[in-house]
Amino acid sequence: MFTFPKFSRFIVAFLLMFPCAADGEDSSKFVEHVRPLLQKHCFKCHGPETQESELRLDTLSTDLLNDRVATEKWHTVLSALKAGEMPPEDEPQLSAADHKGVTDWIRAQVDHALESRRQTDGRVVLRRLNRADYQNTMTDLLGLVMDYTRDLPPDAVSADGFTNNGSSLQMSGIQLEYYLAAARKALDRVVFTGAAPKVFDYTFPESNLDKWLGKTVRSNRLQRMQEFLATMVDEYPEEGDFLVRVTLTAEVKTDVGFPLLQVSVGYRPDTQELMNDFETVEITSPAVQTFEFRGRLENFPMPVRGQGKYPGLVVRVRNIYDNGSARPAEQKEGMKRVYPDEPTLPALNIQSVEFHGPLYDHWPPKLHRNILFESEPRDVDERGYVAEVLRRFMQRAWRRPVDDAEVRRMAAFFAEIRPEFPTFEEAIREALAMVLISPDFLYLMEPAGDVKRPIGDWELASRLSYFLWSTMPDRTLMELAAKNQLHDPDTLAEQVDRMLYDSRSDRFVGQFTEQWLHLSYVNSVAINQDQYPGFDDGLKADMVQETQSFFRELLRHNLSALNLLSSDFTMVNERLAKHYGFEKVWGSQFRHVSFDTNVHRGGLLGHASVLLSNSTGRDSHPVRRAVWIRDRLLNDPPSPPPPDTPSLDDVKDESFLKLSVREQLVIHRDKEACNRCHRDIDPWGIALENYDAVGLWRKEAVAKDSFPDGREVDGVASLKDYLLEEQVDQFAKSLVTRLMTYALGRQPELNDQQAIDDITAEFAANDYRMRDLIQKLVKSAPFQTK
Amino acid sequence: MTVGIHACGYGLNERYNSLSSPAHHMTTKSWHLDRRAFLMGTGVSLGLPWLECMTASAADSKKDEVPRRMCGLYFGFGVGLPEEDTENANWRWFPNGDGRDFEFTDTLKPLEAHRENLSVLNGLSHPNGRRMGGHDTGDTFLTGAFMHNEKLSNTISADQVAAAAHADQTRFSSLVLSTDGGVGEPTRSSTLSYNDKGRPIPSLNQPQQIFDRFFGAGDADLIARRRRLKSSSGMLDRVLEDSRALRGRLGKFDREKLDEYLASVRQIEQSVQRSQRWLEIPRPELRDEERDMLHLDADDEAPLNFIRTMYDLIYLAFRTDSTRVATYQITNMADCSSKAAKFPQLQGFKDSLHTLAHGWNKPEGAVALGKWDSFMAEQLAYFLGRLASAQEADGSVLDHSLVLYGSSNCTTHDNSNYPLVLAGGRKLGLQHGRYLKFGEGTPMSNLLVTMLNCVGADQASFADSTGELSELTSHA
Repeated sequence: MFTFPKFSRFIVAFLLMFPCAADGEDSSKFVEHVRPLLQKHCFKCHGPETQESELRLDTLSTDLLNDRVATEKWHTVLSALKAGEMPPEDEPQLSAADHKGVTDWIRAQVDHALESRRQTDGRVVLRRLNRADYQNTMTDLLGLVMDYTRDLPPDAVSADGFTNNGSSLQMSGIQLEYYLAAARKALDRVVFTGAAPKVFDYTFPESNLDKWLGKTVRSNRLQRMQEFLATMVDEYPEEGDFLVRVTLTAEVKTDVGFPLLQVSVGYRPDTQELMNDFETVEITSPAVQTFEFRGRLENFPMPVRGQGKYPGLVVRVRNIYDNGSARPAEQKEGMKRVYPDEPTLPALNIQSVEFHGPLYDHWPPKLHRNILFESEPRDVDERGYVAEVLRRFMQRAWRRPVDDAEVRRMAAFFAEIRPEFPTFEEAIREALAMVLISPDFLYLMEPAGDVKRPIGDWELASRLSYFLWSTMPDRTLMELAAKNQLHDPDTLAEQVDRMLYDSRSDRFVGQFTEQWLHLSYVNSVAINQDQYPGFDDGLKADMVQETQSFFRELLRHNLSALNLLSSDFTMVNERLAKHYGFEKVWGSQFRHVSFDTNVHRGGLLGHASVLLSNSTGRDSHPVRRAVWIRDRLLNDPPSPPPPDTPSLDDVKDESFLKLSVREQLVIHRDKEACNRCHRDIDPWGIALENYDAVGLWRKEAVAKDSFPDGREVDGVASLKDYLLEEQVDQFAKSLVTRLMTYALGRQPELNDQQAIDDITAEFAANDYRMRDLIQKLVKSAPFQTK
Repeated sequence: MTVGIHACGYGLNERYNSLSSPAHHMTTKSWHLDRRAFLMGTGVSLGLPWLECMTASAADSKKDEVPRRMCGLYFGFGVGLPEEDTENANWRWFPNGDGRDFEFTDTLKPLEAHRENLSVLNGLSHPNGRRMGGHDTGDTFLTGAFMHNEKLSNTISADQVAAAAHADQTRFSSLVLSTDGGVGEPTRSSTLSYNDKGRPIPSLNQPQQIFDRFFGAGDADLIARRRRLKSSSGMLDRVLEDSRALRGRLGKFDREKLDEYLASVRQIEQSVQRSQRWLEIPRPELRDEERDMLHLDADDEAPLNFIRTMYDLIYLAFRTDSTRVATYQITNMADCSSKAAKFPQLQGFKDSLHTLAHGWNKPEGAVALGKWDSFMAEQLAYFLGRLASAQEADGSVLDHSLVLYGSSNCTTHDNSNYPLVLAGGRKLGLQHGRYLKFGEGTPMSNLLVTMLNCVGADQASFADSTGELSELTSHA
């Protein structure tokens, strides 16, 4: 048994004073030289009394080999000393020799610690598919469009804002329960039992329903007040795929938008969701055209047979173009209601509407045969057949080859439950469901021990497809992985390009920008209707679209990322252009619009999405905007207010309490406790004061302030200059860090710094080109290592 | 008399005990059908809650016991607290006076009708919370843990201690609700409940989903359901076995993630077993007026409707004894990342929740915030009213339910002196109709441990508790 030697008490006392000093020589250097300097220069603000930025140095462990948190903190100290940020200007400074002594010591400790963990740190953590991944993967795997995530709890958000972070994405009983339920529900719709269902085919030359909700009029010519309604009262299918085909011509007018075709199906009168809409189609040509809309009946609110005032399945066709002008008043023609023609607005003329369903080429349908393929042995050798069915399905679902033992275990489960079920198909659904709740399906599985290893081709295929497409690898990626060719640098580059040009990369753009820039926050800000009467909440989606289309544009044309800071173009559609006051933009499509810099747009700082989500809905919120820039754009978030921060609310002076946030900011900068942090926060937001709560320009505003380094800003233009002149490195590194965070599904660690610095340097040398950046990231060691 | 029988049925066992009214003893095989027929015959719509839900062992030891329930309700950012001597003092959240001799201000006036069913508590807070960031304490309201940047882990919440104690007796061990759903992010979580490992339990936020889960008919075909439950059992066994083998091939961090998965598999194994046990017992039936009042399509764009619907669902889950433990995070302190941030604006207030909260002592702000606090109190009064309206044994459902309502901020950013209302539980030993004041020497966990002991989840201590709050149960 271990016993303390006689002088143990001394050692214990020593350890308490200097928790876990490293080894002999280093620790004596620390005690004799480093600590006294820290005591003299740092402990006042980072010691027992106060802990600025939540940093306390007098008790910070010097055993970096065993303490990761301490390593991170010492690294922060090192960076602050090197950058000359600390000690603050108005405090006594370290002599050059002392400065070197301290930084050399810290650097040696940090490097030593990092080297010792090179093989074990910076690991990608076993990551569960998040909602988007799961939705897309299930859809691609089964070929069935369905809302797979309806009942799943929302995903956890990591501290840095991402919903694909392996550590924060957790599993819970309720989550797994709903995974199983979703798998069974989908498999019920894919693997069929029983005979082919009856098919219904309808063609409607005109509306067959006269009376309907509201005041609209039945017509083949659709302006704002008319609808085309096709109803099937008793004879309609309830399950399966269906097709709606609309044949029409359009009246396209000048100086207004295009007609917008909206097709809806359903009619469930006892719920809020009467019908579901297909995606709107903008009709830009007057020619005769036919449009097809395909859906799955189970995804639409189906009527309850015999119930309601207008029983039956309804297909509704509308032109939802609306320029916002007053709608025409109803007139009577005998017993009929009519609305006067609106000759300047676009119209649609419906020639016919067809409905067909359920659709199948053959019975059982293709999705069924994809799994239960047709084969001779099925009847003679059920066991052999089942094994092959399972092998094929497992291989796709688990995104890797499976071995015989794995197939055997799955087949054994099938054999065990087969007698319980009346049909083969019902039992095989259960075995398939088991494949879909296995960790090999639900997680990005990359088995590896405690030491790092390069990833294999199958793992690379999954990393790529979840990074750029949020789904399982497609056939091409799987084939390349099977041939072990994917890791070849040329092949890999070619694949990344292919993936980025594929429309599935919109998922990457959408999710990355939403999580990086907090775009969804637009939905949490309610716009004050007194301040902005008639503000259309639909505009919020357009604002988000602007930012996402902008990012996509940079990626597609391999443009410079500095456009995110300042650009001479943006992406708008008709509605957003109206909001900004741009002229002659028609239609709902987003397109590239160039402008002079004097329009106050360009760069993320002119995007209404960013400005609105960091406002109060009534006015701008300079602090929130400032924090957004420093956190999201520069990855240098100000520390949160410490627990004992005196709140402005404590000020008793009534005249102060009546001031606006902006006016209060000015005053509280005079309070030393506030000023220490806020002098480097407020200017970032004050400079944007010319933008109101919804991102519109206002001339009367005080947008002037100065940074701690003395640099003055006055308005957004000077802020952009400051960013472009002084903050480009910080911004570029921040973007690389965020992209890597998203690509790996984990927060970068100290051990990744080298890779991040290298990529950032190459990125800069290459004019900050966006698509090239993705290529570099994919080739980097962190992306290719487990 | 609401119900004339005490029944205990479980699984396929078809065991039936008539405990208090031997006259109605029935021996038929299809016992639940006949029992319903019996109830219809006697004009009782449904009152079977706790009667039908005991397992064999529970039935033996607790056969005459009325359910003891616990419900935690939370809102973020604290309350309005203008100075006492100002003109807005009537919008101070805390009442005037103390003990039995107190008066509600305008803020809590909606609770006047329930005065004898509740106590307002002043001065309690979690000592650990007082060391945490101003908006970081929502996660620890029911746990009392210390969370900070380097240690974002939590500990079990009081409601889950109660849930574990009652788990065998109801179809669901607890009902965890919030406006945002899921778990959110640490220190801004969207759930009040944490399991025994301190992991957040995802909350539900879709009324229709909650309803289907608790009261939906499920698969109409009983045989098909039984088949699938049986298959689930086998499936989960195998998944567990295979994953154990996989575990050996993983590194340390991946193993931790896989363990989370394994724990989840075990959890649904238990819930499958429980479902098998409950398979033959029909889902509770709701009264027509209960169905009519439900707004299952309510969403977070209409706060009044949404909050009431969530309260209705808790009420129904309690009344039917589908669970005995519920938590509901009405709003939180996640600000812009929470759907509740704009609740006040959707109710016609000018500002978002956080901005509103900052007006707690400002001339105009205090009035607006006071009105918001009052709006929230009205909804609580509605909920208490529902619980009080349902009769049960020698009292009401409220008399057998402990409802804790409050925030972990006093005023925004201030983690001391939580505004708290403790309601219900008069038949569980609580004394009410009082305004009780405590000091910082009394940890909030003392309240939680007292509540746990009241609901029969006997605990010597909870988190950092130093004893029980005898004031709550004493007549003085």
